[in-house]
Amino acid sequence: MTARFSPRSISRRRLLVATSVVAALALTAMAGLSPARSADARQNGGNITFLIDSLGSTWIPNNSAISSFQGHIWGHVTDKLIYVDADGKVSPWIAERWEQNDDATQFTLHLKKGVTFSDGSPLDAAAVVANLDIWYAGRKSEGINPIGLFPKTYDRAEAIDATTVKVVFKAPTLGFIPTLGYHGSILISPKTIAQPAAQQADLSKTSGSGPYVVDSWKEGDFVKLVKRKDYNWGPAAAGHTGPAFLDSITYKLVNEPSLRVAAVQSGQADVAYSPSPQELKSLKEAGFITATPRYLGFVNGLAINTKLEPYNDLKVRQALQAAINRKEIIDTVYTPDWKLATSFIQSNVPGATDHSDLLAYNPGKAEKLLDDAGWTKDSKGIRTKDGKQLSLTLYSNPYLATAKAIDELIAQQLGKIGWKVFIRAYDVVTFGEKVRFGGPAVPAYEVTRSFIDAGTVASILTDANNGENWFNLGDSDKKLSELRDKIASAGSSQIRDPLLDQLQTYVLEQGYFIPRTQIVQRIYVQSPKLKGEVYNGVAYASYYTATISE
Amino acid sequence: MSGPYLRYAAKRLVQAVVVILLAYVFTFVVVSILPGDPITNVLRDPQNGFSEDEIRQIIAAQGLDQPILVQLWTSLSHFLTGDFGLSMRSSRPVTTLIAEVLPSTLVLASSAFAVALLLAATIAYGTQFLPKRFGQGLLRGFPSLFLSVPNFVIGLMLIHVFGFQLGLFRVIAPNSFWATFFAAIALGIPISAQIAEVLIANLDHESAQDYAAVARGRGLGQFRLFAMHLLKPSSLPVVTIIALTLGELLGGSLITETVFGRTGVGSLVQRSVSTQDLPVLQAVVSLAAVVFVLVNLIADLVYPLLDPRVKLVSGPKYRPTTADDSSAGTPQAVTP
Repeated sequence: MTARFSPRSISRRRLLVATSVVAALALTAMAGLSPARSADARQNGGNITFLIDSLGSTWIPNNSAISSFQGHIWGHVTDKLIYVDADGKVSPWIAERWEQNDDATQFTLHLKKGVTFSDGSPLDAAAVVANLDIWYAGRKSEGINPIGLFPKTYDRAEAIDATTVKVVFKAPTLGFIPTLGYHGSILISPKTIAQPAAQQADLSKTSGSGPYVVDSWKEGDFVKLVKRKDYNWGPAAAGHTGPAFLDSITYKLVNEPSLRVAAVQSGQADVAYSPSPQELKSLKEAGFITATPRYLGFVNGLAINTKLEPYNDLKVRQALQAAINRKEIIDTVYTPDWKLATSFIQSNVPGATDHSDLLAYNPGKAEKLLDDAGWTKDSKGIRTKDGKQLSLTLYSNPYLATAKAIDELIAQQLGKIGWKVFIRAYDVVTFGEKVRFGGPAVPAYEVTRSFIDAGTVASILTDANNGENWFNLGDSDKKLSELRDKIASAGSSQIRDPLLDQLQTYVLEQGYFIPRTQIVQRIYVQSPKLKGEVYNGVAYASYYTATISE
Repeated sequence: MSGPYLRYAAKRLVQAVVVILLAYVFTFVVVSILPGDPITNVLRDPQNGFSEDEIRQIIAAQGLDQPILVQLWTSLSHFLTGDFGLSMRSSRPVTTLIAEVLPSTLVLASSAFAVALLLAATIAYGTQFLPKRFGQGLLRGFPSLFLSVPNFVIGLMLIHVFGFQLGLFRVIAPNSFWATFFAAIALGIPISAQIAEVLIANLDHESAQDYAAVARGRGLGQFRLFAMHLLKPSSLPVVTIIALTLGELLGGSLITETVFGRTGVGSLVQRSVSTQDLPVLQAVVSLAAVVFVLVNLIADLVYPLLDPRVKLVSGPKYRPTTADDSSAGTPQAVTP
């Protein structure tokens, strides 16, 4: 098709240009006359497209809320009782204020008035009780799971009046309030909760109270959200409480990472999720916005199986701690957007303390520790003891794209001081099947895990209270168990923080946990036209406060 | 229609039903004995923090604690009534999931098929009538070239050139006309290769026949000779090849759909395989078996009607076969 310019089309074009100039002038003049509108520099309207690599598996709120993919959508469709920002700071949201008793076993939540779910039902005390109950217990016979991270110490919740909820625990649960800001704790309409699993799995039939509602969706394809015009209860900490600015957000699944980035570069989409870290530098130079928010949680590192030889030897574990050059990992595999680990929890977690000295690269110290432990170098430079080689098998985390590259680098670093390192890379299913914390053949389990409150840390480390027993210690380490119990029963953070500091020192000194780097699991590349997004404590981007310019 | 034909048709129909049932049972057994249990795998993810007791209850709710034969029987009896149950992964009805993705795949597969036929016919025509100096010999190399370039490479190249450089389509709207067009090309190219090869072989055979020489002697034009005399006898084996390329279309659509960001049966299979979603896999494989068997059945039933030379061989196996066994490109031809 060839377009030819006829006199008629030119005149029409001129007319169009002239009209739009006049219209633009008129609009500018009007804008000048209405200071109320121009005072709020943010403009309403606009649609954005967010390219994502998966949309997870199910939309049953309880079962899906832990998935890193669906968290993006839930964050816009639902609200939470508490807001937790990127620094772990807790502030009011649907719960305007709260009180707790001295031993943190009873909490009273006071709810904001006038909040409704998108199906019209009120978000009142009864609705909150219904949510707390299903978070704790699920409906297992129907395939609706409990939320795993919800405190197992939960006893009951009761509605005192329309806007007051009392929550009772069987044991001190200092982490309860921050947990309400976790991405699993999403408030869903009681009408939705009452539905059977197959109905709950249909996202368009799920009602939350968030600034956006689901307009349409197709499994494995896209989810389109449109704004709720009567929304007026955003978290004050986000700096805005009224309706969102953008008209719609479309989450579109594009499997291929290079296509996601190329689509943003060519202006076909506004945000690309999970690009490869190596691309970030050139994208930044080309004027695109890149974001690598850290989440609150554990750093990326190795939990050591202390039952397995030779890792039952303190000196070997300490040698491992000193033999890893963490700076080199960031320089080689990542970009300066990644930060050195300073503890075994991320440095933005409230209560995290700096233990860089324990994590310093010191190959000389590592060699000496191994010498002392009786591991001597053979002719090939590999350390042996009683005819056995000093070996370590690393199972690369299939959920983290860079895991294998880091394992290879660690293999080189350890190789220099006589360690023989094997790397096993399994797919997700096989990994889940074969690799477990403290598994009989697993010397080191790679951890990446988010949490909101450092209080949950202690119970995970041992097997008490259904804990995950990361180091295969059970209750055998008296000092660890004592710290765990004191942290769990601490009624205030003044009491808890020094204990947390002791715990971090102890775990790192004992070589129970070998940090690699602080974790950035969510990476965003964004068009410069899109501005004002906010990242919460678990590194999800919220576009509730965002605007887009043409 | 004669008695022998009806007997032949009835036997083929029974065979078809048996094949579908066997495919169903086979899929069930294969997926069930695969290492790894999808449900416990998800539940045992330490981040979920479920106790063993909770995991047991959830598995019992899905009926997965039953003996494998009981599970097979439940599943098979539901299948016979057209009920595929709920997806393990998403808890949504399997029929809904398939109904959502089927139209997109049908559009892609049929347009890819049209592309493949057009491309194959063009290449075949060229190998017969393009002058040698304009690359007639080169054209004969095209089918093997098409087969050897991976599907996804073609797809990614098309996306980068026509999607991003020329802006003809948007990756985020994969069901638009142009996006579908280029996806159909990416999928159609490898499929055209097989059709083209059979077509070329048969054209070579037919154009060497006396009648072709006579027609040429009468001064018939190239295109008329091709379209009116050579194409029909040469196309007959292509009917068989078409039935066989169906599997290729299904497999190829998996890759093409992934590359082009289309949601279809292929991407549903991919997601279900990676999560071992047994009910969905079961339904899709059964559906594919039904389509595959049906198309082959139709080909077998139509074949004797199209070509009077095809005789129905009596004996233990009823298969169509040409009396003149010289048509080398007929894979289903059986020497009596």
